[in-house]
Amino acid sequence: MASLAATYGRGAMTNHWGDIANSDCVIVIGSNPAENHPLSFKHVARAKDKGAKLIVIDPRFTRTASLADIYAPLRSGTDIAFINSIINYALANNLVNQDYVLTHTNASFLINPDFDITDGIFGELKDGKYSKATWGLQKNTDGTIKKDPTLADPACVYQQMKKYFARYDFETVSKITGTSVETLKKVADTICATHEPDKAAVIMYAMGTTQHTVGTQNIRTYAILQTLLGNIGVAGGGIDAMRGESNVQGSTDFGLLFHIIPGYLKCPAVEHVDLKTYLEKCTPKTADKQSANWWGNYPKYITSLLKAFWGDNATAENDYAFNYLPKTGGGYSHIAIFEAMEKGTIKGCLLLGQNPAVGGPNANIERKALGNLDWLVAVDLWETDTSVFWKRPGTNPADIKTEVFLLPAASSVEKEGSVSNSSRWAQWRYAAVTPPGEAKSDLWIISQLYKKLKESYNSGGKFPEPIVKLSWNFGGEEPDPNLVAKEVNGYFLADVDFPDKGKSFKKGDLVPGFAFLKDNGSTSCGCWIYCASYVNEGNMMARRKRSDPAKDTIGLNPEWAWCWPVNRRIIYNRASCDAQGNPYAPQKPVVKFNWETGKWAGDVPDGPWPPLKKQDGTNNPEGKYSFIMTAEGHACLFADLADGPFPEHYEPLESPVSNLMSKQQNNPAIKIWRKDEIGKSEQYPIVATTYRVSEHWQAGAMSRNLPWLAELMPNAFVEISNELAVEKGINNGDKVKISTIRGAIDIYALVTSRLKPFQLNGSTIHEVGIIWHFGYAGLVTGPSANELTPHVGDANTMIPEYKAFLCNIEKAIGV
Amino acid sequence: MEENSNNQKAYLYDNTKCIGCRACQVACKQWKNLPAEKTEFFGGPGYQNPAKLSSSTFTLIKYHEEVEEDKLKDWVFFKEQCRHCLEPACVSACLVKALEKTPEGPVIYHENLCMGCRYCMISCPFDIPKFQYHKVIPLIQKCNYCYDRLEEGLLPACSQTCPSGAIKFGTRGELIEEARERIFKNPDRYVNHIYGEHEVGGTSTLCISSVPLEKFGVRDVGTTPIPSYSKQFLTAVPVVIIGAATFCTALYWIAKRREAVAEAENKTEIKEE
Ligand code: SF4
Ligand code: SF4
Repeated sequence: MASLAATYGRGAMTNHWGDIANSDCVIVIGSNPAENHPLSFKHVARAKDKGAKLIVIDPRFTRTASLADIYAPLRSGTDIAFINSIINYALANNLVNQDYVLTHTNASFLINPDFDITDGIFGELKDGKYSKATWGLQKNTDGTIKKDPTLADPACVYQQMKKYFARYDFETVSKITGTSVETLKKVADTICATHEPDKAAVIMYAMGTTQHTVGTQNIRTYAILQTLLGNIGVAGGGIDAMRGESNVQGSTDFGLLFHIIPGYLKCPAVEHVDLKTYLEKCTPKTADKQSANWWGNYPKYITSLLKAFWGDNATAENDYAFNYLPKTGGGYSHIAIFEAMEKGTIKGCLLLGQNPAVGGPNANIERKALGNLDWLVAVDLWETDTSVFWKRPGTNPADIKTEVFLLPAASSVEKEGSVSNSSRWAQWRYAAVTPPGEAKSDLWIISQLYKKLKESYNSGGKFPEPIVKLSWNFGGEEPDPNLVAKEVNGYFLADVDFPDKGKSFKKGDLVPGFAFLKDNGSTSCGCWIYCASYVNEGNMMARRKRSDPAKDTIGLNPEWAWCWPVNRRIIYNRASCDAQGNPYAPQKPVVKFNWETGKWAGDVPDGPWPPLKKQDGTNNPEGKYSFIMTAEGHACLFADLADGPFPEHYEPLESPVSNLMSKQQNNPAIKIWRKDEIGKSEQYPIVATTYRVSEHWQAGAMSRNLPWLAELMPNAFVEISNELAVEKGINNGDKVKISTIRGAIDIYALVTSRLKPFQLNGSTIHEVGIIWHFGYAGLVTGPSANELTPHVGDANTMIPEYKAFLCNIEKAIGV
Repeated sequence: MEENSNNQKAYLYDNTKCIGCRACQVACKQWKNLPAEKTEFFGGPGYQNPAKLSSSTFTLIKYHEEVEEDKLKDWVFFKEQCRHCLEPACVSACLVKALEKTPEGPVIYHENLCMGCRYCMISCPFDIPKFQYHKVIPLIQKCNYCYDRLEEGLLPACSQTCPSGAIKFGTRGELIEEARERIFKNPDRYVNHIYGEHEVGGTSTLCISSVPLEKFGVRDVGTTPIPSYSKQFLTAVPVVIIGAATFCTALYWIAKRREAVAEAENKTEIKEE
């Protein structure tokens, strides 16, 4: 997500589930939709019925691969090399959408002439941090970016890319990924065929992409490729980040991640001493008048958020209570939290629907860390492995001092509210049944917690204001989700006129869209991107109207639920048109400019402005660039990330081979927590990855407790190739011992021809895949794959590297 | 029979669209409220579980890795269940009409009429009906095509739940047309055969597949309806009513023997992979 935000300005699936059916080429990489997002496969099947090609790139031949036109095996952790070779192929053979690249991307921008990569490092690097001194763009005296529309200047992004990606030829890459040159070429040809303006490819990715020390850059390669091919903003195109749980998109939108607060606003840090400083740091600026620079509205969104949080207690005089927001002073990623727990600096932990004892990396460490807490509250549907960590096998409950509370929670069908899917659709649901026993909705639990906290703080305590002054108007004991949703949408807090828009509103009205939010305290909004979801006319998320396929040819279904932003189903959709507002794919237009009405027709356009050029081809000063969420208005082929402006291949932290691309073995910008826990290939020669299956759900609490699902997959298992099985004398169904430097587990072996050893630069490397859903609690139990995985994360997001590490495997003795 | 059969309800299962997710298998258990079985590791090739159909498992996804010259060609799936034969052996074999071929297509079971003789079990060429040996009053158990749901205008639970479009429920005649068209349009994708069009005189489950169904241990049952053997027999000796069941039983022995052979062959095949 960090990657999509850096490239396009928003960190979300660019298209929507149903739009996959409009694709000419579906690329599945780092994901397994047939197994883990089976409903998405309905749309893949529709695309296939219309002739689309399905390409599956995966170390294992999965159930998704079983339906692929091309299956390309690759060693875990080598996505960048793989996709970079396709980018190189596209650039070298001019298989790019030229008009798109010129109009909608920063290809023509001139980079600092000193920019280069030497020995795998982009300029100056100190303690894992880049100075980024050479990453800047060249500027004119008026502050605008220097561009070369002929794309010939050696310093322009396009020429720099040609040079940079040329290092990734198929022969070299084949030695890294283990994919044959022939297959790489076949994949490249099929994908690059969609550079034709009226063709589109979509990339479907998930955790197989993100859970690496180069996770963010993995997605960057996809973004660069898709942008060059002109596949962003168009029907059947896009980069579809498939979320692993039904409401992950929603929770991300509302600030689940440690570095953001609702609406992807930045989490204030200690150096943001007041609102002014914070706004100066966070509000991007541009000197280009044709860039809408939508994030320039930042002050309106944070002020309205603060008004939603603290109501009348947030005033101009007190910086709208900005200093009531906690300020971060470092990392609060999953790994960092557990490391802190282990050190005893974190004393208490509230877990809602989380099961780190199974799902966390290096799970043994995390289970031990839980024992250092004074208290742990687990809110869940079942007794999870985490909530019973104190009586896990091999522990004496008497030795564990942590006080553990388990709060029974209502399931999704037992409460009303909205769930946001990967398509950014917020869909309202009603309670089908009442929760069993004492189970309560999350709203009830949080509300009670708040009320009790307020009671305590009322009688004193350090810095009570943020709690006692909070505005909390959600009804009685069981909060009304409608009131919460309305606060999220936002209210006018005073009568406000918008003469330029010809509109006026009364105090108490719901704000009809974020273009009406103010930075002067006259509006509230709990999450600006959700503004327009619950308006005076009603709850837009509760809509369930399907559109007539004869009229809505690309299946936008705009009256089905509601999607952010402002019900725009395909984001960056103005990039589906040339500079004059004509769709690249006239047979499946997303939007089209109507010069008579002066408006865009089709999907809600990504900005109302007219096209960049008039009908006669002259420049239109009213026009604005199509990627309005980046400061310069263009998709960033060259982008600012922690570990480099272009994606570079580095080996996973634990790898059986040395990096063929440079002397730099691992991503130089990662933080390594446990240096003595890095496995070496002499001892652990086999690559391991972890994965999910259709039959189980995440850390297993919801599926290992259901007899019908337990029946289908009652045990944890590892998939190994016939070749490795022969080498190790293992038969299908044998118990094997898998060990890493962090731990060992005994587990069933499934011997299959769906995995094949890789031939890498002359050596044979085996890879095995372990399902990770198991733990010691529940109806069916088994060893957790995460007892084996390392405590190391991505350089930008800190997401743990679950998907590539080293192990050894032997037939288990005495089982 | 053929004429009328075209209007019967049926499904077309296209394993080139199946993702082996087993939502159908779970949906079946959920709708019928069938207990889960105790399993360990896997009961068959791939992810297959349980090992076979039983009195609490009416449909089962089977997995097969298609390997050629040591190279994996494909991973394919097959949905095992009652075929809802047009001329069901089980119905003919049942002396008390506990099994009935409904005009709509499903072969259903009337438990109040059943006397527990299990002739249906031994007559079925696909080895479908199962007996509740563990119960005091055991009943025959098998898929009834969710007859209760069909009566309410709903699809069978499996068809309703299938996310990939592998199961298409509809009218048999139309589905045969569609199957023909799919094979015609993608001749490389399919074995040129519509399973169930003619097998044992035709069935109300149709299947098109990328590999011969023998790979899943489905044996070739021929195209003659099993009851027609007994019909000929009945015409010849009209008074010997009981004979029909006996004859079906005899057929069973022949069929079983073949199955045992097929199973043995199948086992070697899996080992060789
Ligand atoms: S498959 Fe067997 S049980 Fe089903 S209808 Fe045919 S004969 Fe009867
Ligand atoms: S639900 Fe559909 S796709 Fe899934 S296993 Fe059953 S038939 Fe195949």
